[in-house]
Amino acid sequence: MSAAHDSHAEHSGQPHSHKAAYIRLGILLTVVTAVELALPFLKTYPQIWDAGQPMWMPLLVALSVFKFGAVVGEFMHLRGDRGIYKFLFLSPLAIAATIFLLLSTLAMRLFLPFGEGLAVTAKDVQAGYVKATKSSGAEPPLADEKFNAAFADAKSKQFVDGKAVFVRVCKVCHGDMGEGKPALGLNLTDDCYKYGGTFKDLYTSVADGRAGNKMPSQGSTLKSEEIRQVVYYVRSLKGTNVAGEPCVGDKVAD
Amino acid sequence: MSADLAATAPAEMAHDHAHDHAHDHAHDHDHDHDHGHADHGHHAVVENNFMGQPNIKLAMWAFLGSECMFFGSLIGTYFFYHGKALVEPMPDKVFSIGITSISTFLLLMSSLTMALGVDSMKQKKRDMARNYLFLTALLGAAFVGFQVYEFSHFVHLGLKLSTSLFGSTFYVMTGFHGGHVTVGVIWLTILAVLIDKGKLNPVKLPINVEVAGLYWHFVDIVWIVIFTFVYLLEFIQ
Ligand code: HEC
Repeated sequence: MSAAHDSHAEHSGQPHSHKAAYIRLGILLTVVTAVELALPFLKTYPQIWDAGQPMWMPLLVALSVFKFGAVVGEFMHLRGDRGIYKFLFLSPLAIAATIFLLLSTLAMRLFLPFGEGLAVTAKDVQAGYVKATKSSGAEPPLADEKFNAAFADAKSKQFVDGKAVFVRVCKVCHGDMGEGKPALGLNLTDDCYKYGGTFKDLYTSVADGRAGNKMPSQGSTLKSEEIRQVVYYVRSLKGTNVAGEPCVGDKVAD
Repeated sequence: MSADLAATAPAEMAHDHAHDHAHDHAHDHDHDHDHGHADHGHHAVVENNFMGQPNIKLAMWAFLGSECMFFGSLIGTYFFYHGKALVEPMPDKVFSIGITSISTFLLLMSSLTMALGVDSMKQKKRDMARNYLFLTALLGAAFVGFQVYEFSHFVHLGLKLSTSLFGSTFYVMTGFHGGHVTVGVIWLTILAVLIDKGKLNPVKLPINVEVAGLYWHFVDIVWIVIFTFVYLLEFIQ
């Protein structure tokens, strides 16, 4: 990466060749890329991987910024070129980078549950349910018999609203009728539950997700009210026995 | 890259010679007259703006600036929705480090051959420049081939444009990049063929090759960013 080639070097007659410098840079870029690619394989050495954990991400960013700069500066010749070209290219680049940073921090703020009250987890469940039923004045705190009995009334508001949530969010994996889809979602219409069939079990399945997010956690995307409604709906499907995915887990009595 | 751009321009005016490589050679293309472009005569010059820089290069840099914003927002959108997909398959299921590393190397090497092509053109080694351009186009075409393979593999795994936020943002972003590479491949091939047939005005040849090179390198740096922030990130998590 010689600095020799700014525009003044070409002042008289034949510009000299940068061939050697280009090839050197090509080799350097290849080596850097190889390092980047080797990084994931460090995972097979957990001691090293874990020790350097906070470093990998900044390292990758630094390496790619280097590659970016090298290609723009040397291959595209911007480094030794006119100021007008630098201005034309670098100012939009700066704006684009700003947009990019804003978007990614915004994404974190909006979706990552690091504030109080954003995420609903299992420990909020009981309390949340109690509060909701108390304020609506409907039911006393949860007893599973009561909970089960509530499904008798398929026209209840819980059921209707819960079905809407199900159609919107869950049916892509669990099927139109809750019958499940191969490799996507379990059958929710049989008598078996892999993780249990009480309100609390089902709420936890939906709010926190299961099986390493194969059943995706809905705690940060649905309101606790919506989760409650969809859980009612899901529980009402039990025993409708739509043909679909096989029974997984223990049979749960009504 | 029509050669007529310059036909009207007596741009011998107020530009500084320091930056005008093409201009010095305005008289050594006599052997080209029999190729049907004699009408440009020896007055054909690269059209410069009032600051003495070739318009076409200025235009390319301005275009690349806007492309920065274009790809910046596509990559930003991918990030904004990263990890928000509710439906399988997820990125870590579909990405394969093997395919990606091969295509990354291909594109990187094509940037090198492009730089060498521009360099040869400045040395007036036309045949060598033509060969480098062909090689660059070939590497680019191989990259596109790998992308087509990758896309069809992903679709086979169940990831379509409309499957999830991941599918939509991923295909739009990488698809636009692949489209740019394809345009570059076509451009370079045409350029190389025209050089081969001697159809291009030799005065403007270096700047035409240089501008095509700028575009090509830009496509490469977009891939550098996508490769790191989209693929590698998935592997190190
Ligand atoms: C991305 C696909 C997907 C979506 C969307 C999805 N699920 Fe699931 N769900 C799964 C998978 C996969 C499992 C099984 C996990 C396992 O293998 O243990 C599951 C399991 C469950 C279980 C536990 C079943 C049991 O037997 O214990 C419940 C309850 C459930 N899902 C309800 C829902 C509800 C309600 C929604 C909508 C808010 C939903 N799911 C959305 C994929 C999904």
